[in-house]
Amino acid sequence: MTRPTHPPRPDEDRREFSEEAASLWRITFAPVVWAGHFVLCYGIVSLACIRGLMPIAATRAGLVAISVAALVAIGWLGWRSFRQWDTAPDRAANVGETEGRHAFLGHAAFLLSIISAIGVVFVTLPLLLIGDCR
Amino acid sequence: MRGCDGTLWPSLPCSRFLLSSSALLALSSCGGRQSALSPAGEDAAAIGTLFWVTLAIAVVLFIAMNALFVFAIRTRTFTLDPETARWILVLGGIVLPTVVVGGLLVWGLSLLPDQRQPGDGLRVRVVAEQWWWRVEYFPEGAEEPIVSANEIRFPAGQRTELVLGSDDVIHSLWIPALGGKMDMFPGRETFISLRPTEPGIYRGQCAEFCGASHAWMAFEAVVMEPDAFDAWLAAEAEDAAEPVEGAAARGRDLFLAEGCGACHAIRGTDAIGQVGPDLTHVGSRESLGAGRLGVTLDDFATWIAHTDDLKPEVEMPAYDHLTDAELADLAAYLGGLE
Repeated sequence: MTRPTHPPRPDEDRREFSEEAASLWRITFAPVVWAGHFVLCYGIVSLACIRGLMPIAATRAGLVAISVAALVAIGWLGWRSFRQWDTAPDRAANVGETEGRHAFLGHAAFLLSIISAIGVVFVTLPLLLIGDCR
Repeated sequence: MRGCDGTLWPSLPCSRFLLSSSALLALSSCGGRQSALSPAGEDAAAIGTLFWVTLAIAVVLFIAMNALFVFAIRTRTFTLDPETARWILVLGGIVLPTVVVGGLLVWGLSLLPDQRQPGDGLRVRVVAEQWWWRVEYFPEGAEEPIVSANEIRFPAGQRTELVLGSDDVIHSLWIPALGGKMDMFPGRETFISLRPTEPGIYRGQCAEFCGASHAWMAFEAVVMEPDAFDAWLAAEAEDAAEPVEGAAARGRDLFLAEGCGACHAIRGTDAIGQVGPDLTHVGSRESLGAGRLGVTLDDFATWIAHTDDLKPEVEMPAYDHLTDAELADLAAYLGGLE
């Protein structure tokens, strides 16, 4: 972050934070995909198994496809965040140095996509290992 | 002390074992009758192996982490470069836990379908009540159940299907030595199948808090040789034996006169109540009051006169107005229902 060399301008904040607004969306994206995937899996399996609304084999295949889509989305986001962190001019060069806002948001979003991907995989495992409603 | 002859550390003398560590004592629960660590069936054995491997991994990690800790604060005489430190963090902090927990998760999940396999013929329907168990046996092909209560018998070496339900609140059926557990919901059927291998008498317990006497909601799980089981089931299907004379006959008359039959059924008599446990063969069971007491005649008399002391908030009133002689007659009748 550089110290401003000019008097404040009316739209300065908006302009400075416009990119970080996208970063804030990005940082929530992966956990939201994980949460959505979790709710979808539990909800749809309940409807299939308890209410008997659809056959479990087709439900299972559909949810595995949704899981793959969720992982692709998180992977894409993770890559974007990694690039944001890795290429940021304010990235900390050494351990113990302060990270700039832009690098930090990318870094945090990247780590959140890792944990979200693990979460999605763990939620998907019962679909793969338990074949039916029992 | 029961069970110090358990399978965990057979070479340790009992007293030394007891003194060695209270944590180990808690782990072993010092008795195989209700211990997941003394498996008596295929399903419990699989869960037991998973437990011991998980424990071993946890112990190794605990020791390794403490060794690293000591190394870092006492022994270390150099500084790691940031790149190495980062890799240690990534591998030790992200990759290793994910792989270990993921591996255990895959293993654990792969065990679940085994406990849902179709059985070898026998189906047992168990309905939980506050605080006892309705038990109905459906041998292969049977339409009508053989009704019993507060005890589940299994033929050894065969997979038995358990269809579970509840009449009031959520309960959970757990026989640690055989496998499980599985929740029991009002208005919903759940399913588990167990394959006990070692004949013996084990203890099951409600594993979901279900009210004042939850802790007293237990039962005996009796694993029998298949031939003995078949003979027992055939006897269980019969009506109750009719006492001819003496204390047992007086007890039967008292049973009917006191209105016990409004809640309890004894097949072959006028007692057809469905509120409480079926007592047709109560004398052949291993416990009274759903695992609360033994089955001596004294236990019968104690139970009838002191139900609310023995099982707080139980539906059955205490028949403490009966004389000792009357209680002895009732005990003789019920104890004779084998």
